[in-house]
Amino acid sequence: MGLSFIAVPLGDFRLDVTRSKPTVGAVLLRLGLFAATWLVTAGTDPTSWLIGAPAVIAATWSSLHLSRRAGGSPRPLAALAFVPFFLWQSLRGAFDVAWRVMWPRMHIAPGLHSYRLRLANASARVLLLDTLSLLPGTLSADLRGDILTVHALDASDGALLDADIAQLEQRIGALFGERLVSVLDQ
Amino acid sequence: MAGDRLHLGRSFFFIAGTVGLMRLPDRLSRLHALTKADNVGLGLLVLGLLLEGPGLLNGIKLVLIWLFVLAASATGAHLIAKRALRGDGEDDR
Repeated sequence: MGLSFIAVPLGDFRLDVTRSKPTVGAVLLRLGLFAATWLVTAGTDPTSWLIGAPAVIAATWSSLHLSRRAGGSPRPLAALAFVPFFLWQSLRGAFDVAWRVMWPRMHIAPGLHSYRLRLANASARVLLLDTLSLLPGTLSADLRGDILTVHALDASDGALLDADIAQLEQRIGALFGERLVSVLDQ
Repeated sequence: MAGDRLHLGRSFFFIAGTVGLMRLPDRLSRLHALTKADNVGLGLLVLGLLLEGPGLLNGIKLVLIWLFVLAASATGAHLIAKRALRGDGEDDR
């Protein structure tokens, strides 16, 4: 994999035709999962399917449609190891923001910071954007091409932010089996 | 009781999130308080309810709700931030 899998430019997804039409298995798996999700959240009342059935079909359709352009799923074992990391970091993130705003004089120096993403995998990028927003001090604000704009509650130390983001990027790259060139090698 | 302590922790994070929302100076900074503190607050609420409420199905339902809210709030925060940066420029640099 690596950087050979470059995200296809918007509006030109014809380039990404290596994946064939969805298999019956892929459709059934999604229908089953989404139906089970509906059953768990909405309960067993049969009339709930008036809304549930269209929702499950719409979810299946969007999932198939979007997965054609995504970069596959994370490796199961690596995903399991990611869970405690994520929980611990989001707890740290919550304490960090609570600590900053509870002082009579808030401990903040908000600002924007740019970072060049090395992750190419589209699914991995979405996970990175969402995870970064839940971690201490950072919020993924914009992504244009490879340039990620991060909003930080304390943007005074750019090198520290770079290191934090690079570390998360490395972790998420490993989750999707994507090996990144080390920052030091560039 | 472990449940009581969890509910205390939940209240702390929800209050911190609200304090952040009121005190932080700009739109983007406020999003930090809403995504991070409130998500952990909801996580602790779910954890407390897991200890109180019986049933496996109930448990899966609660955890699913937390995951949906996590994904929705992180994605929503990103969209709001992007709009703020690209839109009227009020929060630019």
